[in-house]
Amino acid sequence: MRTSLRTNGALALTAVAALGLAACGAGSKTASSTAAQVTCDVAKPSKPTTVNVLAYNSSAIDPYTNTMVSSCSKNDYTLKHEPIDFPGQVQKTTATLAGASGTYDIVETYGFVIPQYGSQNKLAPLNDLFTKYADSYKLNDISKDMRAAMTYDGKLYALPMQAQMYIMAYRKDVFDQVGLQPPKTFEEMKTAAKTIQEKAGIKYPIALPWLATGDIVTSYDCILGSLGVNLTNFDTKTANFDKPQAKQALDEMIALKPFMDPQVTTFAQPAVQQQMYNGTGAIAIMFSGRMNDLTLEKNSKYAKSFAFAAPPKVAADSAKLYDTLSVDGWSIPNNTAVDKDALFQMIASSVSEEASKASLPAAYPARSGMVSDSSSPYAAAANVSITSAPPAEPYPWTADVSNKITPIIANAVLGKITTDEAVVQMQQAATAAIAAAK
Amino acid sequence: MKKREFWMLVTPSLVVMVGLLAVPLYRTIEWSLQNVNYGDPGTFIGLSNYTTALTDPRFGRAVVFTVGLTLVVTAILLVLGYLLAVAVNRLHRMRPIVLGLLLLAYVIPGLVGATMFSWLFDSNFGGPVNYLIAHVTGQDLLWFTDTWPNRVVLTLNIVWFLLPFAMLVILAGLQSVNPEVLEAAKIDGAGPFRLHWNVIIPSVSGVIGFVILISLMDVLRVFDPLVALSPQAAAIGNESIMFYIYSVAFKDGGQQLGLGSAINVLLIIIIGIMLIPSIRATAREGSR
Repeated sequence: MRTSLRTNGALALTAVAALGLAACGAGSKTASSTAAQVTCDVAKPSKPTTVNVLAYNSSAIDPYTNTMVSSCSKNDYTLKHEPIDFPGQVQKTTATLAGASGTYDIVETYGFVIPQYGSQNKLAPLNDLFTKYADSYKLNDISKDMRAAMTYDGKLYALPMQAQMYIMAYRKDVFDQVGLQPPKTFEEMKTAAKTIQEKAGIKYPIALPWLATGDIVTSYDCILGSLGVNLTNFDTKTANFDKPQAKQALDEMIALKPFMDPQVTTFAQPAVQQQMYNGTGAIAIMFSGRMNDLTLEKNSKYAKSFAFAAPPKVAADSAKLYDTLSVDGWSIPNNTAVDKDALFQMIASSVSEEASKASLPAAYPARSGMVSDSSSPYAAAANVSITSAPPAEPYPWTADVSNKITPIIANAVLGKITTDEAVVQMQQAATAAIAAAK
Repeated sequence: MKKREFWMLVTPSLVVMVGLLAVPLYRTIEWSLQNVNYGDPGTFIGLSNYTTALTDPRFGRAVVFTVGLTLVVTAILLVLGYLLAVAVNRLHRMRPIVLGLLLLAYVIPGLVGATMFSWLFDSNFGGPVNYLIAHVTGQDLLWFTDTWPNRVVLTLNIVWFLLPFAMLVILAGLQSVNPEVLEAAKIDGAGPFRLHWNVIIPSVSGVIGFVILISLMDVLRVFDPLVALSPQAAAIGNESIMFYIYSVAFKDGGQQLGLGSAINVLLIIIIGIMLIPSIRATAREGSR
């Protein structure tokens, strides 16, 4: 009887402990221990107020979200954040910004969508609040370039928290074994991949996120950017897929296929991470926010064997790398009923110096000088990458153009249409998207 | 029953049905005739959304794929569901345990089940099925990018998910078959095949009709398995109608709610047409 009671008690305790542990990390990829305790002295509202926060979960974003929720939930303010993945955030952002009132009071946004939502007047301009609180929250320490990435038509629509850029992760043990150096051009990358296939027996050494319904367009845009061409021309409001580089970019993608998993068009970034974890990939290029996971021994027996470098250029004479810079930040929807001044103080708290330090090494904080080459195994690569990425395209039609050309790029890469047909279709689709956004 | 009691009992159901069925249906039909973006009032555009949908080859491919998948899966569910129900019906003390195990697939959320199912075929996540096939045949099948292998994976997953329900309903039917009739058939010399074909199956035709009805409705609206098992469904011709609607109306800020609603109305019509024989059979059974 006593044994039974003891057993039941132990089981109950285990269950409670498990629930407790689950609750601690609920909603976050990283535990809420990544939350810094920061000053968040928002004046008490006239009545108890709930602030709903929309932000996708990743080890780079969670520290900022956790900091805001834990530090600003006081004085009759309750901040709520439910776990969600990135595609879910995209849909909920669209929905919450659509009507006269929305579900969320603070939303995580990124440079890519700022022009679209800014031009549609869906986000609150933050310039005045930025000036008002610049000193108290040391906001001028936030990188000017990243603030520019969150600005459209002279208006700041998001307070930057962190940036992500492409980084190349590679298996140093394999490279050493076959006598290779990290590739600096696509040609070198293909040669390295061929050598790895032949000498190290890794069948599909190159691992890139090429999901046919999403990531593939980012990869195409990075190649095009490295070749010196944007998707569209803002001045003439025309698409650039009639330029020779548009077809060349598709050809470059197709030329990589012999070194990649034949099902690569179903791989988003987690699948690419998995390729590196289990040793079926030797060279991966993806966003910096995914790199910390590679360095954790609990994830892979190769964790200590990964080394990092800036991504290669597409051509030897390219001015820019195969790269993209995405800045994440906090925005305040125009349709929120909560006091915007109070909301701004909450987001300013979450990007404070302490919170930014707590986000290392998973994130690349927006505050200048936070990341030195020794901050993480991939910090040096990130510092090179961030200065050599192709310029952003902050135009209201960029998101729509990307959506429209994604299936066409996929069809070209899958060999369902020729690259000549693809560029014609892309030019037509993009022209229509630009016309709709004018 | 007094009138007041009648309305007290009926009102909650009526509220739910009007709120969750009639209003959304009305809204869907209304939006199908409009150009609708999130948060904006719709603009009446007549049958333009229907014209767009019906002239889009992607819609045609989605219809052919969905209807084909539905017919194949329903046929498999009937055969396997019946065989499994007969087997379980013969069990005695083990029946609750076996039933519990079989029902596991049905209680796992569809998306979770499909994701776990995908790992069986994904070398990146171990892929034991891939490993076995490669070991036996020396071939690596591209389950997620080749059209027919992907169809096989989808079919297997949907059957795995829906089979417990089909089995359970048929099992309930089998238990209602009169043992005296079975005994009489055996005395008359009926072998196992004739016993099932001429006696048991006609006796449970009502529940079989019900399984067909539910299976048709479920598979025609298939969505969850494609998220995990067919990441490039549209490109390889394995897009279901629901998946197409989702892409048009919601995905990546697609926002074509009017067009999505029109395709939804067309789907309702397709479901209605496919259900006619089944509904008539069930109604006939009910009026006996």
